[in-house]
Amino acid sequence: MNTKNIRRIISVLLVLILAVIFSFTTRSFLDARNLVELFRESALVGIVALGASFVIIGGGIDLSTGGIVTVSGLVCARLSFIPGIPGALVLLAGVLTGVVCGLLNAVLVTRVHLTEFVATLASGFVYSGLAMLIAFREGGIIQSRAITNASFTFLGGKIGGIYNITAVWVVLMIVMMLVLTKTTFGLHTYAQGSNARSALMSGVNNDFIKGSGFVICGACAGLAAAFVVAKNAAAPVTLGSDVAFEAIAACVVGGLVLGGGRGDAVGAFLGGLFMQLILNGIYKYNLPIAYQWILMGAIIVLVTAFDAQFNKLRFGQKKPRPVERKEAVV
Amino acid sequence: MAENNSLLACRGICKQFGGIPVLKSVDLDIGPGEVHALMGENGAGKSTVIKIITGVYAMDEGQIFIDGAPAAIACRQDARERGISVIYQELSLFPALDVTENVFIGQELSRYGLTRKKEMRRRVRALIDKYGFDLDPAAVVGSMGMAQRQMVEILKALSMDARLIIMDEPTASLSASETEKLFETIDSLRKKGTSILYISHRLEEIYRLADRLTVMRDGENVGVLTRDEITPQKVTAMMIGHELKEDKNRERRHRFEGNRLEVKGLWYKDLLRDVSFTAYGGEILGIGGLVGSGRTELIRCVYGAARPSRGEIALNGRPVSRSVGKNIKAGFGLVPEDRRGEGFVPLLSIEKNLAAASYDRLASFGFVSRKKEVAFATEAIRSYDIRPPVRQLPVGNLSGGNQQKVVLGRWLSRKPRVLLLDEPTAGVDVGVKHELYHYMRALALSGSIVVMVSSDLEELTRVSDRILVMYGGRFFEEFEHEKATQSAVLLAASGQHTGEGAAL
Repeated sequence: MNTKNIRRIISVLLVLILAVIFSFTTRSFLDARNLVELFRESALVGIVALGASFVIIGGGIDLSTGGIVTVSGLVCARLSFIPGIPGALVLLAGVLTGVVCGLLNAVLVTRVHLTEFVATLASGFVYSGLAMLIAFREGGIIQSRAITNASFTFLGGKIGGIYNITAVWVVLMIVMMLVLTKTTFGLHTYAQGSNARSALMSGVNNDFIKGSGFVICGACAGLAAAFVVAKNAAAPVTLGSDVAFEAIAACVVGGLVLGGGRGDAVGAFLGGLFMQLILNGIYKYNLPIAYQWILMGAIIVLVTAFDAQFNKLRFGQKKPRPVERKEAVV
Repeated sequence: MAENNSLLACRGICKQFGGIPVLKSVDLDIGPGEVHALMGENGAGKSTVIKIITGVYAMDEGQIFIDGAPAAIACRQDARERGISVIYQELSLFPALDVTENVFIGQELSRYGLTRKKEMRRRVRALIDKYGFDLDPAAVVGSMGMAQRQMVEILKALSMDARLIIMDEPTASLSASETEKLFETIDSLRKKGTSILYISHRLEEIYRLADRLTVMRDGENVGVLTRDEITPQKVTAMMIGHELKEDKNRERRHRFEGNRLEVKGLWYKDLLRDVSFTAYGGEILGIGGLVGSGRTELIRCVYGAARPSRGEIALNGRPVSRSVGKNIKAGFGLVPEDRRGEGFVPLLSIEKNLAAASYDRLASFGFVSRKKEVAFATEAIRSYDIRPPVRQLPVGNLSGGNQQKVVLGRWLSRKPRVLLLDEPTAGVDVGVKHELYHYMRALALSGSIVVMVSSDLEELTRVSDRILVMYGGRFFEEFEHEKATQSAVLLAASGQHTGEGAAL
């Protein structure tokens, strides 16, 4: 059994233990309807986390996903009022908005050479601002307007008892798992996150990998936003607030290492589920929402501290001692 | 040996950097299936030769023949295509990926956009079996020790049909048992007809491995020895060349017995094994030895920057603290080896860098006295002739020599009781070197203890009043200034007693 599997089992156990605790201590947790809702509510952060996993595994970070969710959601909302527009087209527009935002991030990072932290922090502000610009206003005040386009709101519904967004989330996880583990692109993403300099020397196109990560991340944010807007039939300008950090937190809890090279899509998926599970449980206990934040923070600290020790255990069989003064042969 | 029999033959390779000749008509022949060692002191030009062979640098003059035919190697890709690979250390592997992925990175086999993992694994397995390595193609590299990582590097080279593998100090980060494993790997490569160019400072390794040895000195090839001609005396003589007879009968330095640094039974990881010594005020104590022999760790332990597992360190009978801050207050100073990383703050000005360790004296109640700071810096800039003498200039913009003057000046201005120096003149030009020696000597004369770690044999034998040579984490031999010759020190550093010094 290798490290990856052990870490995976731990993630799954975390989710299961929480689920078992909740199902024994609350009456309505193990209820089919609650579970269906749980998987729907997790999907927003979960899908964004799937996208962010490419950036994080590649050694980067994307703080702009919240802004992307908001602006994509509002683009969808706006477009849905065009008479006769098919819902699929609105969805596509949402995804494309995310792609464009991701491209801009990619350009800022790979062409303008800003650090990822600064580039996406700044662009995230811009995306949120743009969202406000296109928001509906009544008497100059931003107002969310109820969406009535049936072919679009259909996307927010269920097929076969499962919400569309949940199905999309699961399918996306499988596809991304394949991409990460079975394709050259995925391998190169790990290589870059693991040792960027060496990846370059091995013929990996670092800029392409990095840029693609941002685009995939943006696309996921746009996609998630479209489904959420369709479900709620509304797009408030607060749609994406906190999403960026929650998605990163989900990745971290799921075993992705900030700094790159470790973790995978299943981890990001489980992380997203876990975050919502906490919220759901807190809600069931009728505790103030404040506890959600405190618990989340505490769990992130615990999990990362554990990961650091865990990786040392496994990876540090014999710590390579620092090589003194060597003329590098490069 | 004629070019025709050689896998790789270099003829008359010249290379200049900024008008300074680094290689002066170097010849090198490597036969097929040969382990060819390359030795020479730091700065002899070994690395430059490698970089030319692997296409990193272009040579100014000369020719390279591969299999007897002239070959142009203009870039790394050229070298790779001609079967020349360099083993990078941990630098080039991906800890998160497995052995197969590491070997095939950048040249993955794929079908319909999906990687063919099974096929790649099969090929890596075949390669591993062929050379009899102890590796699992599916193992994650991050979980491996250094020796195994090197095997992965070697596999990577072999997968690209490497015929010549260059290893630059491959054992520097290996333990003894790992080193033996590497040697076995090299033996099996040799049996299969792969040539190795092996660069090392360690004579015993050359002994064990090399079929032939090329010795370089000052950018020249001073000779080729075959296996049975390799003896420590011969090799060190070739590396050092004609030693200048200096006036060794200089005045005996006065020892200030009252200022005394005592180290007793120091252990640190597996790098220091029961190290003891005493250094006295008034003398410059040189510490010699090969890279990795424990010199740097020793002075870091004394300074408090590393925590020894056992042992006592005392200054004038009082135990030395394990906190750097307290030690500085007690009169310690360290000029570290990694100047840019640890010695100074590149973006900060000369004055801030100079004052950095002395704010205990320049501040009162936590507030820095700007006047004192300026006076302190101005005085140091003048005393140590730091150029340009502009207080506000970031130290990162100065020349290497002046940067080192700033680092040294920071401590000298405090009049430390113990100054520890690690490779104090590396990368410093000759003129500034002598200035630095002068300042070090002046400090010693004033009664302070000066301990200098150096790989520069000339520096070590000229500047030190006493030399302790380390070998394998222990002191191996002690030389008084009068008896210290470069070749004797070098032999001691390689674990050979000479009789000129006192065995420890």
